[in-house]
Amino acid sequence: MSLNITVNGASRTVNAEPLTPLLHVLREELDVLSPKAGCQNGGCGTCTVLVDGEPRRSCLLPIAAVEGAEIRTVEGLAPPGQLSPLQEAWIHHYAAQCGFCTGGFLMAATAYLENGGSDDHTEIAKALGGHVCRCTGYVKILDAVSAAARGDSFDLTTTAAGLHTTLKGVDQ
Amino acid sequence: MKAVGARLPRYDAHEHVSAGTRYVDDVRIPGTLWAKALRSPHDHAEIVSIDTSAAEAMEGVHAVVTYKDVHKNVHGHIEGLGVPGDEPLFAETHVRYKGQPVAAVAADNEALAIRATEAIQVTYKELPSLLDVRKAFDGDAPQVHHWGNWYPHFEGEMDRRQIRKGDIDQAFEQADVIVQGVYRPAAIEHIPMETQVCQVVPEAGGRFVVYSATQAMYFSMGVVAAHLNWPLNKLKFVGGTTGGGFGGKVDSATETITTLLAIKSHRPVRWRWTRMEEFLCSSTRAPWHMEIADAVTKDGWILGRKMLTLHDAGAFARFSPYGVTKHAFHHTGAYTIPNLEFNGYVVYTNRVPTTAMRGFGVTSVSFATETHIERIAQTIGMDPVELRMKNATRLGDTSPNGIPYVDPSTVPVIQAISDAAGVELSAHSRTMTSAMRSGEDLPEHLVAQMGNPEDH
Repeated sequence: MSLNITVNGASRTVNAEPLTPLLHVLREELDVLSPKAGCQNGGCGTCTVLVDGEPRRSCLLPIAAVEGAEIRTVEGLAPPGQLSPLQEAWIHHYAAQCGFCTGGFLMAATAYLENGGSDDHTEIAKALGGHVCRCTGYVKILDAVSAAARGDSFDLTTTAAGLHTTLKGVDQ
Repeated sequence: MKAVGARLPRYDAHEHVSAGTRYVDDVRIPGTLWAKALRSPHDHAEIVSIDTSAAEAMEGVHAVVTYKDVHKNVHGHIEGLGVPGDEPLFAETHVRYKGQPVAAVAADNEALAIRATEAIQVTYKELPSLLDVRKAFDGDAPQVHHWGNWYPHFEGEMDRRQIRKGDIDQAFEQADVIVQGVYRPAAIEHIPMETQVCQVVPEAGGRFVVYSATQAMYFSMGVVAAHLNWPLNKLKFVGGTTGGGFGGKVDSATETITTLLAIKSHRPVRWRWTRMEEFLCSSTRAPWHMEIADAVTKDGWILGRKMLTLHDAGAFARFSPYGVTKHAFHHTGAYTIPNLEFNGYVVYTNRVPTTAMRGFGVTSVSFATETHIERIAQTIGMDPVELRMKNATRLGDTSPNGIPYVDPSTVPVIQAISDAAGVELSAHSRTMTSAMRSGEDLPEHLVAQMGNPEDH
């Protein structure tokens, strides 16, 4: 079937079987590579994109279910050469190690912040709960989202002091 | 040294957050084929026949490879360290674990590649399997490996890694109490977010470009070249960007098979494992079985240790003999025990082969050693921190394999941990340093084991 979706503001026409996962269409047909094929079972979050503003697992979404939808990925978070405050927070707080889970986290966190999310770690942890990072950077990810929620400004030539991180609001 | 102590930004962070990092699965070459493997459905079986003709005849299938396509099917990855090869790239006469590759195909798309593997006809004769290292030595245990049920080539011809130090019998005669324990940490799958993945692209002039997620690029390059019997200059490896490895991407699990498919099809080929494959048949951290018996005095000296380690290698040796060697040299942990009798076996089972993971061989023995220290403390009624300080490695003490320590850190580390955790140390432990033993810190039983740090 032939259908239209909008990807990062650009209208795209797709020819695909109706049950083809959105992840496959983005990566293999449209060369939008930031969503990753981590488990392709909805279990890890690396393929998360925003569909009409909501974070969704693109590996489980049939393309027919998103006809006419507005899809956003990391490629659309900021104009070329620029970064969103959340992306800057990610760098400054060292929230990426291998980087493979980062795109999915960024999209879920973007939706959280656009919906007025606060810097409370418990609320952030709830919003990002379905995402897996195996380099174990969760604390720094919470710090980054928290800082972006507060509207901190970031010096990207240096890294925030991680040793003094506090788990504000998170049950330990 | 400008970087030491500085809070530098991560060198690749900008690319990570802006979709600029190109992982292996993100490399886009027009005309690339998808690879899939046909894997053993059995833990242990004899292969009666393999018929690939139906798969080869399918339209859109461009290559099918088996053991017949490999110049050197059995290549030991650490032959250079004296560990001979035992694992075939593709199963030939037997399959020895569920998920072992039997054949691989390259086709126009992923769905077609899956159908092609299903069209390959393999006849198996199932054999009894061995899944528990504790049963490997039984007279009626299934024989799971052509070398026997445990690796026989330590130092060329020994069937175990062994350590003998001091006088173990005297230590056990002098002991007030024998403290025994069995420790069995389980297998762990590394679960990198990026599954095993590889792309290989034929270049004009006969060279092949291998995009690899390996953690050990030149090592993997050597593995591919050895299987193919090719000079290294026919391969160009592109690596360094890995979506998580943790030790699970040192086995070169994808590079050779993907290259064989690219050679045979004359096309670029991409092989990305599913999460199911990652769990089923990518290597894991080994499960270990460790038995410890310590000769201990009632005032807290550990006079001697007898230890038996069964390391579950899975179906093939891979790096396990190296892991057990490291394990043996660390089997007293951060403590000085002068009399030792250690036997460590690399045991074969019909499990997926095991490999490196964060502190290969040592993490397991640290778990056993530290837990055992707690057990000793409970048995003799002594504070476990004071017990650790008493037996801590000191300058001039010797390791299990007889190397004098030149910079032991047990004492200052335990002091720092105690401070951080709010644990009160005795006055003696508070003022202790790593300096060479003397006075009450040098009882008779520790004199003979001392070495000269200058000899290190």
